Amino acid sequence: MTPTIRGAAWTFGANVTTDDILPGKYLERCNDEVGQFAMAGIDPTFAARVRPGDIVVAGANFGMGSGRESAPLALKLAGVAAIVAPSYSRIFYRNAINLGLPAVMVDRIDGVLERDEIVISLDERAVINVRTGARFALQNLTGIAREILDAGGIVAFTRARLGQVAVVPETSP
Amino acid sequence: MTLTEKVIARASGVAVVCPGDEVWATADRMIMNDSSGPRRIGPLVAELGGVRDRDKVVIVSDHFIPAANLRHAEILKTTRTWAKSNGIASFFEYEGVLHNLVLEGFLVKPGMLLVGADSHTVTAGAVGAVAVAVGSTELATVVASGQVWLRVPETIRIDLVGKLPALVDMRDVTMQLLGDLGLQHATYRAIEYGGPFTEKLTIEERLVLSNQGIEMGAKNAVVVPSQTVREAMRAVKIDAREAFLLPDADARYLARHTVQVDKLGPLVAAHPSPDNVTAASAVSGIAIDMAWLGSCVGGRLADLRAAASMLRGRKVRVPTLVTPNTADVYRACLADGTLQTLANAGAIVNAPGCGACAGVHMGVAGPSDVVMATATRNFRGRMGSADAQVFLGSAYTVAASAIAGRIIDPRDIGIGGSA
Repeated sequence: MTPTIRGAAWTFGANVTTDDILPGKYLERCNDEVGQFAMAGIDPTFAARVRPGDIVVAGANFGMGSGRESAPLALKLAGVAAIVAPSYSRIFYRNAINLGLPAVMVDRIDGVLERDEIVISLDERAVINVRTGARFALQNLTGIAREILDAGGIVAFTRARLGQVAVVPETSP
Repeated sequence: MTLTEKVIARASGVAVVCPGDEVWATADRMIMNDSSGPRRIGPLVAELGGVRDRDKVVIVSDHFIPAANLRHAEILKTTRTWAKSNGIASFFEYEGVLHNLVLEGFLVKPGMLLVGADSHTVTAGAVGAVAVAVGSTELATVVASGQVWLRVPETIRIDLVGKLPALVDMRDVTMQLLGDLGLQHATYRAIEYGGPFTEKLTIEERLVLSNQGIEMGAKNAVVVPSQTVREAMRAVKIDAREAFLLPDADARYLARHTVQVDKLGPLVAAHPSPDNVTAASAVSGIAIDMAWLGSCVGGRLADLRAAASMLRGRKVRVPTLVTPNTADVYRACLADGTLQTLANAGAIVNAPGCGACAGVHMGVAGPSDVVMATATRNFRGRMGSADAQVFLGSAYTVAASAIAGRIIDPRDIGIGGSA
């Protein structure tokens, strides 16, 4: 992943479920179709309004419930560049990382208003709200999860592990 | 080490693991369904060099059977074709739910490491295996490489003691735990169930404990295997001579909880969360539009028999759908008269599978519907409309509520009379 992600915040509360992110009736849809239904269970207008590079800022336990990978995939295809939350349901978390979608964990995240500009800085290990200047400490993105994100997702990461192609990390700007 | 640590250590080829370690482990089983499986992982597995060990792969079409539309039919065909062309012997369709079939056929055995693309993969922990859910893309990498990376979780130990009162069942036990501990108690952690009550449980009873572990956020939920597991394996001629992996006496747990099951009564998890738990009597009187008996956790033989015991000689007041979770459960209920009792009471029996639990088909909830169900979870929109309300309970409570047309404590009406 790139060391700095900058985007406008879309805020959600705690315990957003994968049924909220991608309702079960869309399970029959193909992978490449699901972006248009992102967050359909909680805000049917989200997918049409979110812009590429925007950031989802949510409360604790984001992505709980069904392990459907189409939930983080829908967010990614809708243009979401990263998610920031104090905690995630573990399957959602793993799925997001595996798809190359940074699911950033912070000690806490409060005082964020809709469309506040958010900066995620890996170098500074912090999430910054540009409007208020508030900084929140990064809690994750270390170890194997970080290696997978740096490879661009678990498919590229596995290809390298299996010795098929060397991982080419994304370069610094 | 705890049981989960022991299994992960064995699977990763090291003597000892500690919570927080990151290890690469060899998976003994890789399981998937028609939604998470070949349609999504097929192209990725091919890209990564193909299926590494086809004997470890289990594929079950359970979400989209029987097909309700052309998309479903195409998914079923893709699943069937991929399973056959890759020589997957353990492929089943129209046989029931993946999680139940894996246990019925002992496709998972004590001490195994199982990885599956479905959150209720944890169910396989019922026989003392470590069963961990991942997404489709990651499962593709496991099928191609044989390996999965795991962060060794801290373990929470839950001991169950006592004897269940009448008309209270395993689901009331897990609802009590969810109500006490909440949705996030076990996030990133393992749960280990043991204690004298647990030792005597059948596999079908054990699976309620492991299955509902995911609703507490668990990475895996393992039930310490006992003589009952060994006997169940012998009964179907599965070699059970090997010593089971068991937790060490000096295993270190993050937390310990003990539940006296004698003290439990019928419970209900009110909309919209499995941890929104209250006594059935406290929500008694809420009118319902539909009752649903089914799912990997609530469509077991014991559930259908419990429902029949309530419905015998009575009639349901609201549409009542019954979805046995496997074809074997269906046949057993046919043979012992359970289906006859349910049908006489006015219930409709569906094809074995996941049915309406995931909001896909066969009884999804409409706008403003109030549903009383044995489903796995009741988040907003889970069973269909985002405006529907779903209440969860044991099969006793769901059947009693179907008879009353409103939520009711099953002890208020007791079991039914003659057919």
